[in-house]
Parts: sequence; structure tokens; C-alpha cells
Amino acid sequence: MKPSTRFDPISDLQARLRVNWPAIQKAQRKTLQTKNKIETLLKGLSSTDASTTVFGSLARNEWTSKSDVDWTMLVDGQADPQHHAVAREISRRLKKAGFADPGMTGIFGNMTFSHDLVQKIGGREDTNENTTRRVLLLQESVALGKAEARQRVLGLILSRYLNEDYGFKYGRLPVKVPRFLLNDIVRYWRTVTVDFVEKQRGQEGQGWALRNAKLRMSRKLIFATGMLRCFSCELLSPPEARRELIKHQSTAAMEQHLRGFMEMTALQVLALFLTELKINPKTARTLFSAYNSFLALLDNQAKREHLKNLHPDKIGSDPVYADVRTFTRNFQDALTALFFGDNKQLRDLTIFFGVF
Amino acid sequence: MRTIGFSTGALAYSDFRLGLKILSSTTAIAVELSALRETELEPLVNAIDSLNLAHFRYISVHAPSRYEPRHEPRIIALLKKVCERNWPIIVHPDTIHDFSAWNSFGGLLLVENMDKRNSTGRTGNELAAIFSKLPNAQLCFDLGHCRQVDPTMTESYSILTMFRSRLRQLHISEVNSRSTHDPLSEASIGAFEKISHLIPAEVPVILESPVGPDQVKEEIKHAQMALPTNGSSRSGRHEPRSNVAVV
Repeated sequence: MKPSTRFDPISDLQARLRVNWPAIQKAQRKTLQTKNKIETLLKGLSSTDASTTVFGSLARNEWTSKSDVDWTMLVDGQADPQHHAVAREISRRLKKAGFADPGMTGIFGNMTFSHDLVQKIGGREDTNENTTRRVLLLQESVALGKAEARQRVLGLILSRYLNEDYGFKYGRLPVKVPRFLLNDIVRYWRTVTVDFVEKQRGQEGQGWALRNAKLRMSRKLIFATGMLRCFSCELLSPPEARRELIKHQSTAAMEQHLRGFMEMTALQVLALFLTELKINPKTARTLFSAYNSFLALLDNQAKREHLKNLHPDKIGSDPVYADVRTFTRNFQDALTALFFGDNKQLRDLTIFFGVF
Repeated sequence: MRTIGFSTGALAYSDFRLGLKILSSTTAIAVELSALRETELEPLVNAIDSLNLAHFRYISVHAPSRYEPRHEPRIIALLKKVCERNWPIIVHPDTIHDFSAWNSFGGLLLVENMDKRNSTGRTGNELAAIFSKLPNAQLCFDLGHCRQVDPTMTESYSILTMFRSRLRQLHISEVNSRSTHDPLSEASIGAFEKISHLIPAEVPVILESPVGPDQVKEEIKHAQMALPTNGSSRSGRHEPRSNVAVV
């Protein structure tokens, strides 16, 4: 199955289920407008050696009214003192145009060099920041302007995950799932959940409820679709990719397949799997309805601000958080149905690769 | 065994006679007569009758890589004389101004994929756009250029699967970050080996590595290592094969 840029699995799923997810559609439209605006704003600042790369809601096609621009200037080329000046110029132009600053983590809003992303996968030098940048580059990033550097780095990272996974490349197991990549995606998700508690402590509850909603929806979506992207090698890859791998121990075609899946948004991956694996329509409806409610809430400035200021002590009786609790639980239940209930192949893969 | 040879320009800058002289004492059985600079083309075409090329199984000519649009008809006229000998002509797609004029070379025109400095002709999709304007043209696949664009060799895989039927010649060398050619390195040999099974053994291989006369033999050996034919792969040196129980 080769994903096409023209084919939108979300629209296709909506049509099949005869439903409408207005908040998702609105976020998609707003994303397109915002990307065009930023691309114009930053014209001339990217090169074949340095891609202006954005992450988060902008990359996921989930832009809402208070979204911020998580960006980095991804450098893959000869060292150049000018790179620093260009990065500052990106920051200056975005601020001048009124875009909110990236978060306080220091992961975005600066330069990132390809070397660490490609060479340091695992080991003590693979810092929390490096893992975050790498996994998000794979799963929720897009280049605005010249895309060559991002494409090269993404390809190199994928190539390492596949070529150094001897089980995937040479193993006798007939099931082909890139376990090295899958384990890093799982590791990242677990790190995010642990860091959530660390932030809760460090920020004394500030922003807890909003972060909690994001953790249970957009972060969990990235984890779930990261697993699906890996499982796509077994379930949705073209026959030639499998043949190249088994007959020639060549991962090139499988890398090409995975690149296609990495260029899709998380919701598109989810919609594609729901359609291709003929998942129970009830599960599909619940997943997307829950996500639609999440985006609608984020786009509602009053509710978003309310959640941002809501202390964890008060969530028990809070009506806005009650909504959050409902859609996040629905989302969790439907994910459980997808991975463990509705499709035997997916359940077997989840148990074999996702648990132990 | 593959048909392997050199570009004269790689052995002797702007001097095809010296390039041929160096090759005459080697095992190279293929040659690409280089006229990369516009001023080199006419002397080369005029000298062809006088050149001793008897020991080459395969001969091609590289067209100039830069010229003014008004010189294009003259360049095409000179290259027509090469065509009469049934020798393929290698062309950089970004140099073409009038595609219809180049179409007249038919299947003897070999379009070369470009390095990352260019804005066209680098990837399978970009080449497809060029072949739509040159429907009969064939492909000279530059492995070094493609590896520079995508070091994972996935783009090479794409190009080789998209245009397998058009593949007529290879260029091989290391291409560094400044987009100049270097001799093959261990890294480039390993990368090219990864997709070598997709390249039929009969496709001629032209080395573009700038090496001295005493390094020609070794560079040809490196090319053989990079592009093993059936049964001669060296992959097993470093990595387990399929009979190893990993999982």
C-alpha cells in the first residue's frame, strides 16, 4: 500500500462512515493557511543544507487558535557560521508576525544538527532532547521551504533503524516488523509519560490539566500510530518491499515504504489502518469523534485557558475537565479495541512486539 | 564480469588524449570521452578518426555541462557526428534549453541524474518529468550523485525500479559535500553494494574518480567490489546472512 499525497484517508473514512468531524476539518484548513503564511514569511531562509522544520500541531494538521510554532532549523551539510544568523532571523520573523514562542523546553526554536540525530540512537549520549527531536522528526514534522535536508536526515535515521535491526533484515521470523524502531517509539512514549509527572512536580501544577489532555490524546495518538507505522511493514507494505528484504536482505524498498508512512500525519495513518484493516466502524467512529472533541476544546479559547489554569486539586468537580475525562476515556477504549479486539493480525502483532 | 572503464576527464583534466593514453595500459574495457567544457567538444569530435579505441568494448561521449543557449544548435550538430558511430551521448538535463532539438538523438541520448546542487533531475520524480520531454532518451545513472542526494540509497532504489528499462550506463565515484568527485571510499562501496543487485551485469560502468595512472587498477577493483555480480557479494564479511538465527 503506497500512500498518495492526493488521497486523504480521513476524508475517505468520513465518507465511508457517513459522519462529519468539523473540528478536525477546521484544524486541517487552518493548518494549510498557517503553513502558507509561514512559508511566505520565511521565504529565502532555507537551503538544500538547512530545512526549516516544524513539529507539533502544525505538522499534524491540527492547528487551533492558540497553537504555537515548534520549529527548528535542521542542518545537514557543511558547517557555516551563517546558520546561527539564519536561525535568529527565523525566530525574529515569527515573533514579529505574532506567532507564539515554542515551549520552554529548549528543544525547539533553535538549530538542530543532523549528526546527533543520525549517529546517537541509544547509549548515554542519546539525551532526552535528542530522542525527542529524532522521534518527532520521524513522526510529526514537516519542512517549510526547501525540504531536502529534512528528507535526507529522515531517510538516514530510518535507514539506521532498519539496517541495524538484524532480526528485521536477516531473521527467520516470517513476520517483518522493525523492532529497533518500534522499541524507540515505545521508549519515547514512556519517557513522555514519566516527564509529565516530572513537570507536574517542577511546575507545581501549572498547566497540568491542559498537558494531561494533550498527553492522553495527541501524545498517545503519536505512540499508537508509531506502532501502526511499524506494523505497516508487515500489514500494508508492497510485495516488492518484502521480496527485496527476504531475497536480497535489502531494506531499500521497505525504507521507501516507511518514508511514505512517515510523511502522513498521525490521523491519516490511523484512518488508513481503520479502512484497510476493515476495523469495526464503531471503533473508528469513537476514535475520531473523541479526537474531534479534543481539537474542538483546544480551539475554544475560553475552555483552553480554563484548563491551563485549572489546578489538579480542582479537576474532580470541574465541568470542562469532565468533558476531557469523557473523550480521553473513549479514545483509550477505542484504541484498546483497535489493537486488541477488532483485528486478529493487529492483536497478534501488538502482543508479540508491543508487550515483551 | 562487468564492463568497467573510466571517463577521460577523470584521469586527465580537459585532455582526452592523455586520458586515453593512461587507459591504454590498463584493463579498462570501457571509456567515456569527456567534453565537459564546451571548448573541448570540437577538438574531440575532429580527433575521433585518429584515436585508437580498438580495445574498448564500450565508448560514449559526455556532452558539455555548461554553454550559452545560442551555442546549443552548434553543440547538437557536433554531437550528431558522434551519433553516426552509434555511441551514446551523456547529457546533464539542466543544460538542455530546447528539448525538441535533443529529442532527435532518440535512444542514443542518455540523461544523467544530478547532484544536490541542482533543482532538477535529482530524484525519480524529477527524472520522470525530464523523460516526459525526452520520451526516447535513456538513463546514465550516476550512483555518486544519487548517494549525495540520499545517502540511504532509497532514492537509488526508486530510480532503478522506475527506470530499469532505460538504464544504459553507470557513473560511479564518491561525490563529496562540495559536489566534486573523489575516489571510491569504503562507505561509498558499501552503499553502492546495497543496490547492486538491481543493476544488470551488462550495463557499462564508467568511473569518474580522479585518480593517478598508478591508481586506475585499484579503483577498477573497488568498482567491482561495489557492484558485485551474482555470487560475488562481500556483504557477508560484516553482517549475518539469512541462515543465522537472530530472532
